[in-house]
Amino acid sequence: MPVTERDQLAAAARAAGLRLASQDLDHLLVAWKRYRALVDDLRGRVAPDPMDDDD
Amino acid sequence: MTDDPAEMSMTAVVRALRGRTLSPVELVDAYRDRIEAGRDLRAYITPPGATARRQAQRAAERLARRDRGALLGVPIALKDLYATRGVRTTAGSRILRDWVPTGDAALVTRLRQAGAIIFGKTNLHEFAYGVTNANPWWGIAKNPSDPRRSPGGSSGGSAIAVVGGMCAAALGSDTGGSIRIPAALCGCVGLKPTRGALPLDGVFPLGWSLDHAGPLTRTVADAGLLFEVLAGRPAPRPVRTRGLSVGVVRGPLTTRIQPGVRARVEAASGALRRAGLRVRDVRIPELEWAVATQLVTLRAEASAVHARWIRRRPRSYGADVRVRLQLGALVSGADYVVAQRARHRIREAIGQAFSDVDILMLATAPMTAPLIGDRVVRWRGVAEPVDGALVRLTSPFNLSGLPALSVPCGLAGGLPVGVQLVGQWNDEARVLAVGRLIEELAQ
Repeated sequence: MPVTERDQLAAAARAAGLRLASQDLDHLLVAWKRYRALVDDLRGRVAPDPMDDDD
Repeated sequence: MTDDPAEMSMTAVVRALRGRTLSPVELVDAYRDRIEAGRDLRAYITPPGATARRQAQRAAERLARRDRGALLGVPIALKDLYATRGVRTTAGSRILRDWVPTGDAALVTRLRQAGAIIFGKTNLHEFAYGVTNANPWWGIAKNPSDPRRSPGGSSGGSAIAVVGGMCAAALGSDTGGSIRIPAALCGCVGLKPTRGALPLDGVFPLGWSLDHAGPLTRTVADAGLLFEVLAGRPAPRPVRTRGLSVGVVRGPLTTRIQPGVRARVEAASGALRRAGLRVRDVRIPELEWAVATQLVTLRAEASAVHARWIRRRPRSYGADVRVRLQLGALVSGADYVVAQRARHRIREAIGQAFSDVDILMLATAPMTAPLIGDRVVRWRGVAEPVDGALVRLTSPFNLSGLPALSVPCGLAGGLPVGVQLVGQWNDEARVLAVGRLIEELAQ
């Protein structure tokens, strides 16, 4: 069964002890996607993966 | 100088009170009339009550005895996250709606020691966690220039109170721009001092490594006087501005700016050049990382403050703050480390820029006050969240801890614009001196 990003986020939220209504999860998913995009971009600029040079 | 006490600068109020051409009671009544008339702006959560008038009467007696206190009889409003003994302190939240602290915040104690009248508790974004001041529990604060627009936040109520003549000055707090943004959008002065210059004891925290306390005032001189009292420092020696070097920040960070805002900032830098300062362009590419760095750092730190409540009673938060805190609970240690590495690089890059200049200058906010409810601003078709845009130019200096001042520099489309001046560590004196010059040149 495919696991969506929404399912993964719901599981992570449960593991963190958060209680989310379905609508909360929808809002959190939007914020989470924006957050991941910003962090991944930041990581690429500041702390690129050290293994990248070994490709 | 105006004859209306509600319009006077704080330094003029101090002079008038000492000269006994104005009584504290008369002053308090003038401010309370303004508060009543401007009730729809939602500046206050807890307006000043009868206690303020009694404090004014006692101050009048002390002034008659020639008692001296730097702020004796001066009404100062507090953002409602400063703990006040015996007075409800909500932090703009539902959760703390009935919290009555048993002690004062350290800065409130300093104000009282200087003779100030604690003049009510002002509205803020819930728990200071946002920059629009659309507070679901205590009312949506409105911009005095246009009530359809946001005053900015999170110290929006303090800015409204200052601009609206509802107090002599106010205190705010600034974690990503929360003093400077509402100051710019409403048209007053806002000072975020050097990190650590003012104690935060008794100020409800948002992000422990980013929080700053500071004043919102009508003039730069007012900000300087209030800062001295709050910091417990003697007045700094006057600074000569002629010959100082000002670096105007250029680059991608500052390209997405409304034309009217850009024009006002360019006019201010031109005026400084004509006044004998050396003005040059400065590029700090690392500032582009500030929004992401601020986002990760603040999401994690605020989530730590609210760890228990966000898990046990999430419905006690407004929708926007709730999702920010829930997101913060998911920030990994690895993400936080990346952000702190970026922060270190940003601080180093800003420090390098100061090897060539004395002051950095840029707009405080890239836009004038947005309409209440606007979520996105478009730059030639590219969308940017309003909250991200508003902190884009201020948050680098929460990450760095350097002193930053927002000074009004005119209007764009009839709405106030603020220019931001940033100094080196503990160099409030030069920031204030250049700010004062901009103020004078604009008159």
